[in-house]
Amino acid sequence: MAEMGQLAEAPRAQTPATVPLSPEPLTRYRHRVRFRESMPELWRARTLVGRLAVRQLKSRYRRAILGFGWAIVTPVALTLTFTFILSRVIKVPTAGVPYPIFFYVGLLAWTFFANAIGTGSGSLLENMGLLKRAYVTREVFPLATIVVAVVDFATAAAVLLVMLPLFHFMPRITAFWVPLYLFVQVAFTTGVVLFTATAVVYVRDVRHIIPLGIQVGIFATPVVYGLSQVPERFRLLMVAVNPLAEVIDGYRRSLLYGQGPDWTYFSVSLATAVVVLVAGYWAFKRMEDGVADIS
Amino acid sequence: MLTSPRGSIQVNRVWKRFRADQTAPTLAAEASRLRDRLAGRPDDNHWRWVLRDISCSIAPGEAVGLVGTNGSGKSTLLRLLSRVMYPYAGDIRMNGRVGALIEIDAGFHPELTGRENIYLYGSLAGLSDRETRARFDSIVEFAGLESAIDRQVKYYSTGMRMRLGFTVAVSTEPEVLLVDEVLAVGDSSFQARCMARITSAIKDGTTVVLVSHDLLSVQAVCSRVLWIDDGVVKADGPTDRSLTAYRNAVELQAKDDAEVGPVEFVGGSVERPGGGSPTTQGAAQFHLELKARSQVNARVYLGVSQGTAIPIFTMRHELNMAPGVVRLEGRIERIPLARGEYHVWMDVLQDDGTLLMDWQPVMQFNVEGPSLHGAPTGVVRLAPIHVDSDWEV
Repeated sequence: MAEMGQLAEAPRAQTPATVPLSPEPLTRYRHRVRFRESMPELWRARTLVGRLAVRQLKSRYRRAILGFGWAIVTPVALTLTFTFILSRVIKVPTAGVPYPIFFYVGLLAWTFFANAIGTGSGSLLENMGLLKRAYVTREVFPLATIVVAVVDFATAAAVLLVMLPLFHFMPRITAFWVPLYLFVQVAFTTGVVLFTATAVVYVRDVRHIIPLGIQVGIFATPVVYGLSQVPERFRLLMVAVNPLAEVIDGYRRSLLYGQGPDWTYFSVSLATAVVVLVAGYWAFKRMEDGVADIS
Repeated sequence: MLTSPRGSIQVNRVWKRFRADQTAPTLAAEASRLRDRLAGRPDDNHWRWVLRDISCSIAPGEAVGLVGTNGSGKSTLLRLLSRVMYPYAGDIRMNGRVGALIEIDAGFHPELTGRENIYLYGSLAGLSDRETRARFDSIVEFAGLESAIDRQVKYYSTGMRMRLGFTVAVSTEPEVLLVDEVLAVGDSSFQARCMARITSAIKDGTTVVLVSHDLLSVQAVCSRVLWIDDGVVKADGPTDRSLTAYRNAVELQAKDDAEVGPVEFVGGSVERPGGGSPTTQGAAQFHLELKARSQVNARVYLGVSQGTAIPIFTMRHELNMAPGVVRLEGRIERIPLARGEYHVWMDVLQDDGTLLMDWQPVMQFNVEGPSLHGAPTGVVRLAPIHVDSDWEV
């Protein structure tokens, strides 16, 4: 702002001949983040989020013969691959749970995250045509991709209904804790997606970093292995940085091992997820004002 | 604080800038920008002002036209009004539901059918599915898309997309309707229906902001015109006054751009016989002085216009020019123009078709007499011709 100080005395006249060289600093437009206004606005746009999600699902599978099947094929193929490799090369201790199930439960959460980031980060760019022509509160675009990712997640989770009987494995009664972890999973992912969606618009390089991050991330998250194999002193740090570690561990505990949440880890992961969600939303609203200027 | 009435627009000292270099930012360019910023130097040369210090206040129910040459910033202003973009400085206050039609289609998704897009756009405009359903049939009928509504929009023609876009934007019953350069597309019967729809919206108290290069439609619809040139408001006032100023500027530009050819215009005038301005339905005398460089068989074309290159009527005269100055006299017995300011454009061709002088404005004259009877709002009148008529019951 300092560079405009000396121009403060620019003539005030409105006539064309005397338009100042640049605006007075005090008149600078500030794009403020007002949760109290943007939240009701988002609520009013809920049908739009639904329609955008439906649109995305429809156009994604419109030309694909297998259609929704692709939401299943990908994780199942990955499970087969990893089971084959890991059952021969490295033995992952699963405390009696068949490894494919152990792996698949972890993969579900990870696939949700990877899918949401993959499509969500490009959501503003992809909808540039729409958001340059009509006003709408912009977070509907990344949120619609979250809805799509939830649908895919549910589809892929349904495979467990076939998988569990196949391995003669009964889910535990503690499965009722699952929604708790699901919340952390969705909140954390939404926060990250909101942030990356705007970041990609301003710095296109982010688009190339994301696939790399996803590939590395699957090994930085206990998907192929269990959280218990991480040295104990790193566990809390891991959960704090990457709440998905706790989400995946939580799914396994409640679905496969009949254990309740480890409240220390859970609250840490919940805190991270909520902070990321709020910060991501704030960053999104803060940066959305210049989105349509960049084509 | 007083809240402004619904449908009003307040634009207060608005500035907008874009990156001067729209190509992908390279590391070097970013670094130089960052260096300027850290050093406290203004980073002005990295930016280009598109709108500078724009202020205007539009009352509910007013119909305002935005005119200006390409790249003058009028579309950017419309985008700011529709909240698609935000200003760099200044503020915009607007009340009420906005319906915007920017760049032909309202932002349809090509993979979806017309039907799906109508619902999508409806929810975009804040309508519930029930409200959209209630309007659905009339939208399809007005856009004339009964047979194509279940086809994907990517197979629509430009005209079809525009028809759907316009109809959907209008049918959300906005309190502020922003329309950008759309009347140019679409067949003439749909254009007429568009104009009728805009007119009836104005009658119902909708505020309309219309961006167009078609000055005649602007004239037919708008009671007020804002002329924007190079990001600055050059004129803001009643349609006739602003458009005259704009047309004159277009004319001056054309004069500057014209190149000197083998035949030159030296001087001339248009007068009533005996002097003074011609009157409507009275005689007008044209005096012209031309200078030729060599002996030519020339055809002189004269056109009378309101300032732009498109004449209301033209005249032609053939003559043999010797090198030097030639005087030409012409006479119109009854000039049918209504009161106003007119311009004479001219070009000269050789008899084999070679251009001797570019089509350019050469003279200006006023006509005195009765002002033109107003045409009904929304009806495009091509030329300000005065015709006497008698009526009986």
